[in-house]
Amino acid sequence: MTLCQSLQRFGRVGRWVLPKSHHESITRSFSVSTPLLNDTLRRSAIFTAEKKRQHEAVGRINKIEVEVTSDYGNELLLMNRDISTPHDCAKHISGHLTKNAFVALVNTDSNPNQPWDMHKPLSSSCRLQFLKTTDKNPWIANNTFWRSCSFMLGAVVSKAFRDDIAVILHSFPSPNVYSGSFILDAFVGLESWNPSPEELRSFSADMVKLSGEELPFEYLSVSREIAEDMFSDNPYKRVHIGNIFENHNEVVVYRVGDHVDISRGPMMNHTGLLGRCTIASVHYLEDDQLFRFQGVALPIGHKLNHYAYGILENRAKFLNDHMIPSQTKFQPAPEYATEATKVN
Amino acid sequence: MSRPVPTRPLLRYAELSKLVSRLNIPVHWHVKRMRNPQGPEGRLIKLRQTVTALFKYERIELNYARADEARGYAERLISEAIRHGPQCEETMEMADWWLEEKQLVHKLFKVLVPRYQSYPTSFTTMYRAPCWYFSDGYHPQLTEVEKNREVNETISMHGVVLLQKAVLELKGHPYPPMFRTHHSNPRFIQNVLLSSAKDYLKSTRSQSAKSNDTPDV
Repeated sequence: MTLCQSLQRFGRVGRWVLPKSHHESITRSFSVSTPLLNDTLRRSAIFTAEKKRQHEAVGRINKIEVEVTSDYGNELLLMNRDISTPHDCAKHISGHLTKNAFVALVNTDSNPNQPWDMHKPLSSSCRLQFLKTTDKNPWIANNTFWRSCSFMLGAVVSKAFRDDIAVILHSFPSPNVYSGSFILDAFVGLESWNPSPEELRSFSADMVKLSGEELPFEYLSVSREIAEDMFSDNPYKRVHIGNIFENHNEVVVYRVGDHVDISRGPMMNHTGLLGRCTIASVHYLEDDQLFRFQGVALPIGHKLNHYAYGILENRAKFLNDHMIPSQTKFQPAPEYATEATKVN
Repeated sequence: MSRPVPTRPLLRYAELSKLVSRLNIPVHWHVKRMRNPQGPEGRLIKLRQTVTALFKYERIELNYARADEARGYAERLISEAIRHGPQCEETMEMADWWLEEKQLVHKLFKVLVPRYQSYPTSFTTMYRAPCWYFSDGYHPQLTEVEKNREVNETISMHGVVLLQKAVLELKGHPYPPMFRTHHSNPRFIQNVLLSSAKDYLKSTRSQSAKSNDTPDV
C-alpha cells in the first residue's frame, strides 16, 4: 500500500485521526438516516421513563419468599414481588456473590430451572441459585457471557466511529461458544473498509474500558409501541420488532450505560465480569451489505497463557459463518425471540 | 551460614527425644539478625509478642527472621500442651509466660489442643511474602505505619535495605486459603474454545491437504 493510500484510509476511518476530507461522501442508501448521538440518548431516556412507569405500576407491595442456595448456605428471604431482583437477594448474602455471580437460576414448581437475569424482578415465590463460569457445569453462564460480549461489542461499535459515519446495528446471533468468536452484525457507512490492526486494537481497548466501568445490564420488557418508538431510527430493528410481535406480546430490551438493544437474554450481571478481550476481525458480508465484527474474550478470573490465547485469537480471525442473516431460514434470527408469554 | 558442627557426640539425642516432643518443621540454622538493645531478654520478649499475636489472630505478616524463630516456639508450646494437658504445672507455667493475654491460655487448651490432637503434621504454616525494598527516598510502607529508625539509618549507610517478609498462620484457621486451589474442567470456557479451535484447525488442514492432492489441470 502506498503512503498516499494509507493516509486516505486513515482520513476516512476512525474517530481518532484526521478530520474527514471533503470530497468523500457516503454512497449507501441508508446514509440519510445517520444515527446521531441524540438517538442513543433518546432511547435511553425512553428506557428510563418506561422503567419508572413500570415500577410505579406495581402498586401495593406483596411479599414473596425466596429460598436462596449458595456457597454460603441456604437462606430464606422475604422479598418484594415485581420489585426485588436476584441482585437484591445476593446483597443480603455476600458482597462477593453480588459482584461475581453471572446469572441466576430460578426454580418454581411450574417452571423449573429458568435462567434469570440478575436485574430482572422476581414475580413469584421461588428457589434461587447463582451461576458462575467456574461452576462444575458452566453451560448457561458461558452462553450468557458470550451473549453479553456481543451486546457490549454493539455498545462499543455504535460509539467508536466518528459522528458523520453511519453505524446501524443489525443483530447478533444466539451465542455459540464452539464457533470460536462472539459476533455483531452492523451496517457501517464506509466503502471497502479493511480495518487495520490498530483499529481492531482500539475496539478491544474500548471493550476493556467499558468493562472497567462495571455497568449493570438493566432489564426491561416493553410493549410494541415503546419498542418501535425506541428503534424508530433503525430500519433493521423495525423489521425485527414487527416479526417478533407476530408471536409475542412483549419484547425484552437491555441497557448498558446509554446503549439500548433488543435481546432475548439473559445477560450477565455487570460489564466488569469481562476479563481479557480481543476484537479479532471484521468481515464484510456481501449479500447483507453488513460488517461482521468478531471477537474472543474470557471472563474475569479465567487465566490462560499467552500462547494458548494467541491460538484463540488466530482462530477468531477466520470468518465465523454462524447464522449469517441472509442464509438463516427464519427472519429475524432466533436471538430476537423473547421469553414473554405467547399470544394465543 | 554453615551448619554449626555439634561438639558432643550424637548418641545422647535419642534419649532427649523422649523428653521433648519432636518438631515437625524444618529448623533453619542460619543466623537470624534480631538485635535488641535489651539483649537476649528483649529478644525473647519480642518473640513472646509474636507468639501471642499468632495465637490471637491465627494469621500474621511479619519479618521473615522473627517469623522463622517464633514458629518453633509456637509449635513447641502446642505440642507440650497436647502432650501434658493443663494439669501439668510446667506446661501451664510455660503457656502463662508465652501468652501475654490470659484468655489465650484458655484458647490453647480448649480450642487448639482438640483441633491439633490428631494432626500428624506441623501445626503452623509459613509462606514467604513479597520483600519490602527500601532505598534512598523510597520507603512507602514506612510512611504509612511508623518511621523505622533502624531501617532509615541503614539506608544512609548502605543505600539499600531489603526486608524479607513472611506470613505465619495456624493451620485450621477460619480465613480463606492463601492460594486458590486450581481445578481444571473441560467445560470451562477457555477449554471449550481451545478444543473447538483444535477441531477447526484439523478440519481446515485436512481440507487443504485434500485440495493439494488433486492436481491442478
